[in-house]
Amino acid sequence: MSVTNLLENWSTFRHFHPVDDKPHEQYKWAMAINLDACTGCNACSVACYAENNIAVVGKDKYAHGQTMHWMRIERYWDEDGREFPDQGAQFLPMMCQQCEAAPCETVCPVGATNHTADGLNSQVYNRCIGSRYCSANCPFKVRYFNWYDYPDQEKVWPEPLPQQLNPDLTVRTKGVMEKCTFCVQRLTAAKSDARNEGRSVRDGDVQTACQQACPAGAISFGNLVDPQSKIAKQWEKQRVELAAHDEQEKDKEGSELRGYRIFEELRAYPSVMYLERVRESAV
Amino acid sequence: MMENNFNRRDFLKVMGWGGAAVTLTGCGFTSVEDGREVVTSYVEPPEYALPGISVYFNSTCAQCDAGCSVSGRVREGRVLKLEGNTASAINRGKMCGLGQAGVQAHYNPDRVREPLLKGKAISWEEALGLIDGKLKAVKGEEVAFLTGGLSGHVKVMFKNYMDTLGGANHFVYEAASPAVVRASNKKAYGVSMPRLHLDKAKVVMSFGADFLGSWVSPVHFSQQYAAFRKGNRPEGRGVLVQIEPKMTLTGANADRWIPANPGSEGVLALGIINALGKAGLSIPADIAGLTRDYGVDRVSKETGVSVEQINKLAGLLKERTPSLVLVGDAAEGYLHGSQNAAAIALLNRVLGNIGKTIDAPANVPFPQVAPTVGSRSAVKALNDKLTSGKVQVLFTYAANPVFSAPSVLKFKDNLQKVPFKVALAHYMDETAVEADLVLPLDSALEDWGTGVPEYLAEGAQLNIQQPLMEKLYSGTRGVGDILLALLKQRRANEYKGYEDFYSYLRHSLVSIKGVLGGSGKDDDIFWAETLSQGLVKLSGNNGSLAAKANAAGLNLPAPAAEDSNYPLRLIPSVTASMRDGRNANQPWLQESPDPLTTIVWDSWVEIHPKTAARLGIVEGDIIEVASRNGAIKAQAYLFPGIHPDAISIPLGYGHEAMGRYAKNVGANAFAILDQAVDKETGELAMNETRVKLSKVGKRIIVTKEEGPAGGMQMGKKIAVRVASDKVNLSEEI
Repeated sequence: MSVTNLLENWSTFRHFHPVDDKPHEQYKWAMAINLDACTGCNACSVACYAENNIAVVGKDKYAHGQTMHWMRIERYWDEDGREFPDQGAQFLPMMCQQCEAAPCETVCPVGATNHTADGLNSQVYNRCIGSRYCSANCPFKVRYFNWYDYPDQEKVWPEPLPQQLNPDLTVRTKGVMEKCTFCVQRLTAAKSDARNEGRSVRDGDVQTACQQACPAGAISFGNLVDPQSKIAKQWEKQRVELAAHDEQEKDKEGSELRGYRIFEELRAYPSVMYLERVRESAV
Repeated sequence: MMENNFNRRDFLKVMGWGGAAVTLTGCGFTSVEDGREVVTSYVEPPEYALPGISVYFNSTCAQCDAGCSVSGRVREGRVLKLEGNTASAINRGKMCGLGQAGVQAHYNPDRVREPLLKGKAISWEEALGLIDGKLKAVKGEEVAFLTGGLSGHVKVMFKNYMDTLGGANHFVYEAASPAVVRASNKKAYGVSMPRLHLDKAKVVMSFGADFLGSWVSPVHFSQQYAAFRKGNRPEGRGVLVQIEPKMTLTGANADRWIPANPGSEGVLALGIINALGKAGLSIPADIAGLTRDYGVDRVSKETGVSVEQINKLAGLLKERTPSLVLVGDAAEGYLHGSQNAAAIALLNRVLGNIGKTIDAPANVPFPQVAPTVGSRSAVKALNDKLTSGKVQVLFTYAANPVFSAPSVLKFKDNLQKVPFKVALAHYMDETAVEADLVLPLDSALEDWGTGVPEYLAEGAQLNIQQPLMEKLYSGTRGVGDILLALLKQRRANEYKGYEDFYSYLRHSLVSIKGVLGGSGKDDDIFWAETLSQGLVKLSGNNGSLAAKANAAGLNLPAPAAEDSNYPLRLIPSVTASMRDGRNANQPWLQESPDPLTTIVWDSWVEIHPKTAARLGIVEGDIIEVASRNGAIKAQAYLFPGIHPDAISIPLGYGHEAMGRYAKNVGANAFAILDQAVDKETGELAMNETRVKLSKVGKRIIVTKEEGPAGGMQMGKKIAVRVASDKVNLSEEI
């Protein structure tokens, strides 16, 4: 395959996930974040540290961009040249967007990051060799690399802090990449419970840690395959389509919707829909 | 749980190595215990401990005083995570970042683990005996207690103990508290903390109340805020206007953030009333008389808010009712803080909000457990007492005055005049370091207690605090247990029936189970249900508001004169994570970026880019911030969300003790505050300190989340905003 061919027919190549002839069968986990409710308070981020055994790296490593926050709040200012940001700041919770055509997956030399049947972008820690290609290729910059041996050499969990660690997932070792998993340990438990009862996971059975904490209830999460789930209804209402090409309904002239995905034009097909922040026009 | 029961002796016996230990020590091992792991048999698992299965126990968050109910995830005897308890009307299953970090208070590596007498470990018997001896030698009035806000049965124990001593002085201190607002509410509405209904308001105009970040009950208000923002509620999407010189988290979420001149908040409120009158709203005669002189032109000049903006605000408030006007830190922190608050309260009366969006709180049927809230003036009062040398024994609990009292009070020096100081403490914080005797406390996840929150979301409720796991250290004790032991020293007969604080608590609640919804129930069942729920709803009638907000006695001062020596005003900020600094030793909070500046692990000085340009300051310059009472150094951060005549420094940083994550991180802004007070309440006026800046000639790279683009999206649609008239919210899900 020549580079010319690759570039010329890029959209065909990119259009690999999701494939219309092989839709998700039982589960497709997805999220919606209402930026008009999100206050930027960081509760989601701390909840993520608590749930997912994320290392606190300290000031020096933070300064080197080695922080491990799987969920972070990005803060933006308006660019309209006002003297004061009199319409406030713009907050954006950013975590792995669980892309359907994830740019990180195609570049992993060892297949450590790949797609699950539930539509998750999974990271297999013990397969990861630390090439960091995935992080380089991630347009959202949500992959975090373990530059150090945090538990043993850096001792970021001095006694008795290790007792807090969540036994449902590992503490990652030096040299592997990690990222938001949509709290896959909770999904696995919920799926197992549902399977024991001979049913599918119902809407509300499982929450991600960030969603559960969010004081403003800005985050919804669920199974997009289940038409009765809140998440499916929200996506439907906003006419946001998982496999839409380059634009959503909202982007069309005269639309009164506010659902969008970040970097739609890259055709990564993210599983996270954001709802635009609204600002009153009368003041 | 199991690990504690399994001691070394048993271990050796089981392994049959009783005699081998000595031999092995000599074989190149430093100890036979190297690499030891505890093997726990689950052949007969303890109750509620199924390996691999989490159990949830309900309790109450102790990270701040809002009183959110938590549900702790416990597995194999260890608490792993705190979730919100959905049964509480306060937080309804939600949690803030500060609350999440509660597990790090519990597992903190820097907790005090045994009683210390001048740094040397002693036994509890010795410690308590020592207190008994000291107290026998002094009069009751020579004993003082400095505590944080108290409620519930721990408050009862404190009171009983102080009564026993006879005439002991109690100072209730909260370094960051809405003390002036409470007093103002009391005058305007007849209650100090009314119920607020943001969710019913069409417009919320907040004069510096950071209700989403750090004010009163942020998790509760965040939920109300989310409801207020819903476009599909009958009132439509609510509009938030925030007036404050330093943008708080709430200001960052406002539809309109207005940096009125610091101190002019009351004038702006009267100006809006005047404009409302001009727009045709009928204004009660007494208020109309007062606001007559506050025409838009004068008000615009004094506040720095444009005439057009004032008229727009008045138009919005007139058109969209009910609204809700709030007063917070930014408006109360002045010499005329009470006057500011009173002027702003008039807006609620004029707009008819009282009884609609401002409501009476539930009465707490048992006043002995109702919250005793703290003030900033308490530390001044205690300091005066210390200066006079009349305090012989001082107890401190849930307060760190050596850290948070302005250094001009010389609190640390005055403390030396007290011959015997006892600190009930979790960490060796600045106050505990100065104490003669340190009594180590159980963590909030190990201790028993009850609490009644100051802000009651619905009815009154008694929050239950219970241990979520066994104690980590045998040398710590619960605060209730310490007080009970002290009470027994004096009134053995009265308290001999209670083996420990737990039995006292149980007896207290079970004996009134009838009014706690447990009438006719078996004691054990009632008690088990109470613990299982983690809170008890208290029946009681709602109080009523006495709408008294009026213009009498209101007299706002002229704008403050400029101070050429100290040209800038310091606005110390209370952030959602750091608050007054009591949780600074929790690493998740240190590494959680400040939402506005995205800075971690340090203090910073927020300076408006215009001011910075004038002073030749760029980001990362280390600046000396000097007031009349001291100077601190911190990194500069150019921040558009601040009034150009003000700078802001977050509180809570700059500890000299406390633990590895707090010590020497940032600078302590409390230290340089002027001891200026609100004239009516005597509360420290937090925003009255004037400062000057000078560069010290050093520049660093600011450690922050924000990228080199400085918060710009560079034309990319990442975080997108839409005007409310361009979107249809009415049918959203």
